[in-house]
Amino acid sequence: MYRPIADGGTGAVSATVGEELPELRRVVTAADVAAYAEAGGDRNPLHLDEAFARSVGFDGVIAHGMFTMGHMAAAVTTWAGEDAVIERITAQFRAPVSMGEEIRAGGTVRAVENGVVIIDTWVSVERGGTTEWPIKKGVVVLRTSANS
Amino acid sequence: MNPAAEGTVYPDVPFVVDPARVAAFRKVFGVSDGVPPTFVTAAEFTVFPHVIGDPALGLDFSRVLHGSQEYVYERPLREGETLRVRARIDSIRHKGDTGFLTVVMELRDDEDRLVCTARSQMVERAP
Repeated sequence: MYRPIADGGTGAVSATVGEELPELRRVVTAADVAAYAEAGGDRNPLHLDEAFARSVGFDGVIAHGMFTMGHMAAAVTTWAGEDAVIERITAQFRAPVSMGEEIRAGGTVRAVENGVVIIDTWVSVERGGTTEWPIKKGVVVLRTSANS
Repeated sequence: MNPAAEGTVYPDVPFVVDPARVAAFRKVFGVSDGVPPTFVTAAEFTVFPHVIGDPALGLDFSRVLHGSQEYVYERPLREGETLRVRARIDSIRHKGDTGFLTVVMELRDDEDRLVCTARSQMVERAP
């Protein structure tokens, strides 16, 4: 179980199947990614050093997968409110995110039963007129203390 | 990567849920309170150097991308507590020249109770 961050949300307690979470958007900057590397402890130069990133085949530094997953988690916990605890969170990383791109985290409530809320989640980015998926098949499982 | 390294268990590493570091992590994601669920990654990265640097595993970290991640929580992490992190190589697979490494870490409290299980899949891209 995991008590999420409370930013005034109450969505988990009153969640209904099919409900869409409010989309959470942010533009990713090199400063954000550097701050994340310091706080999270992943100082892989792929995320910090332009020359290194190019040397291994990227167009420049990319965000950590865990940066994108942290953003996804923020979207859920902001919606869920403090009467919910996270039991499980998972993500598959499918596309890199470059600096200056806007990532959009969203989710849909898949199931609500006996105080457990299962949410399908994702992070998308619009790139050259097409939608790509830095995170696909994300899942967050919450338990609402109101019903447990 | 050497498939024979599958099953390797690494020595426990202590991890302090440092309030200042938690605050820095919260700030990155614009949230105001609590320990963000993915903060567990900071515990994983106290142990990854032992895994990455294990000559018996033979991982080329310069070619590694993060494939997938799962966290299962038994209870919330508490700011200020010290947990023990134990890493195990759960599986090593290859498809052609691409390697897939799954590492499972358990975070346990001072009474050996499980707090969180973290499962990371790393992809070692072809040279």
